[in-house]
Amino acid sequence: MADGITISVAVEGLVDEAVARRLIVFAGATPGPVYGKQGKPFLRERIAGYNNAAQHSCWMVLVDLDRDHDCAPPLRAAWLPQFAPRLCFRVAVRAVEAWLLADPERIAKFLAVAPGKVPSAPETLDDPKSAMVALARATRRREVREDMVPRDGSGRSVGPAYASRLIEFATSCWRPEVAAQRAESLRRAIDCLQCLAKTP
Amino acid sequence: MSNTSKPLRFEKITLTNWKNFASCEIAVGKRAFLVGPNASGKSNFLDVFRFLRDLAVSGGGFQEAIDRRGGVSAIRCLAARRYPDVDIRVVVIDADGSSKWSYGLAFNQDKQRRARIKKERIERDGLLLLERPDSDDKQDPERLTQTHLEQVNVNRPFRELASFFESIRYLHIVPQLVREPDRSVGRTNDPFGGDFLEQIAKTQERTRLARLKRIRDALRVAVPLLAEIELIRDNRGTPHLRGKYEHWRPQGAWQTEEQFSDGTLRLMGLLWVAMEGGGPLLLEEPELSLHPEIVRYLPQMFARVQRRTGRQIILSTHSPDLLRDEGIGLDEVLLLQPSAEGTKVRPAGAFTEIPRLLAGGSTLADAVIPRTRPEHADQLSQFGDL
Repeated sequence: MADGITISVAVEGLVDEAVARRLIVFAGATPGPVYGKQGKPFLRERIAGYNNAAQHSCWMVLVDLDRDHDCAPPLRAAWLPQFAPRLCFRVAVRAVEAWLLADPERIAKFLAVAPGKVPSAPETLDDPKSAMVALARATRRREVREDMVPRDGSGRSVGPAYASRLIEFATSCWRPEVAAQRAESLRRAIDCLQCLAKTP
Repeated sequence: MSNTSKPLRFEKITLTNWKNFASCEIAVGKRAFLVGPNASGKSNFLDVFRFLRDLAVSGGGFQEAIDRRGGVSAIRCLAARRYPDVDIRVVVIDADGSSKWSYGLAFNQDKQRRARIKKERIERDGLLLLERPDSDDKQDPERLTQTHLEQVNVNRPFRELASFFESIRYLHIVPQLVREPDRSVGRTNDPFGGDFLEQIAKTQERTRLARLKRIRDALRVAVPLLAEIELIRDNRGTPHLRGKYEHWRPQGAWQTEEQFSDGTLRLMGLLWVAMEGGGPLLLEEPELSLHPEIVRYLPQMFARVQRRTGRQIILSTHSPDLLRDEGIGLDEVLLLQPSAEGTKVRPAGAFTEIPRLLAGGSTLADAVIPRTRPEHADQLSQFGDL
């Protein structure tokens, strides 16, 4: 079904893009052009435009909940009063890293850490990105640590090839159907995309 | 290239009166991103490393390095005042920090405008190996026209350092030169890519095939229709790269480098040198001709490559797409800001606002680019009416 419905995408960053693409393919649709990738405020300013465009074609907008609100519905309401039927507006609780952590077996293998170290309820994490970095810090492999964990003095929250590693994981190792069992916001996103993929 | 096991890299550089830099001292990490307005001195900063290479390379040396730059007066900073000498000091360390070199060279010109060394000093792990002028220099001042670094008969105790300088590589591929290598006949290691194809051809076949395959895989991201790349020689022996493009014709179509786009050639050049390993790699605006989506991935690509090779990468850039990368450390971005007293160089982390802007959701590009804006850029819009 690779050439079924095409879904345009708007996301915050590079890792979100890889996750969105993977989910769209998993849902049986084809990823279209990917917009944004310049942070959350960039998307928020343009959400009305994405919603307009979704009057005519299928769209997925994926944002992180972060600590903006306690749960997804108030964030949705704050962004737009009403979404076009073909706009799949999804909120990752609290960040897309939680969705990746929700496949504990695979992420443990990918990062070379003990499976027991992967947080069991990723959607309850306050800051999934720092949880991912903390997990990478515990790796047995030096190259994973050097890529994903920031150096002392770098002043950044992630290492120099953090995004590249997670893109690799999301694209080639991650199982959305397994992860959906531990991440409700992911399950809803998959349902929404599968529904969109069947749009006549 | 001699340093293979424990690659050396620059740790600190101190400049006095070097071109735009009246006085500057800056730490450089494994990666450095130089940003600043046009003519702030990004290329001149890179040129210090090229100067050190010119000192050490065979066929080079102090006089040659000075001549290539148009003499001492073309090098000395216009803001130079009381202290007239040009002074370069670098600290070089190895990967695990177990070995530390320092090299210092001060020079000026005599009344006949001939370049003269004022001081040359080399230390290894705190031990002084060379300090000039020495008594021989005082007896025979003609000796001060050459560094000891460049002299094989005396540089044995610090040849490792000389080889390190020699291993510095500058790359600024000009696609037109790759396509028409005749324009740079006979140059080896041409930074502008004139002998790029010859260098690929000289690489051992197994290595070459493996690298070209990896380049093809990487390039398919940027140029999806590119199915194969190979190196061939024409009947005059001149090497050519050719690529097979998937096509509506079942066999596809072969094109040589003459038909490759500027972006394809530049990206090939970048990927090739990235895989080479070796000494510090100096890149001038690697974003040129590339799609912004490709540029965004360059910092991550460099990070993964240099984790494997240990190669230091120092590059200049104007690209917001490149600086948007969230893995670039604030200590890796060096801001060049011109002033009447010469250009100042400071790491992004030294500006208290920058970490705060990042914490508020700005990208590094949002936080840094406004500080690199030329002061009167807006006047350019009135150019037609001036």
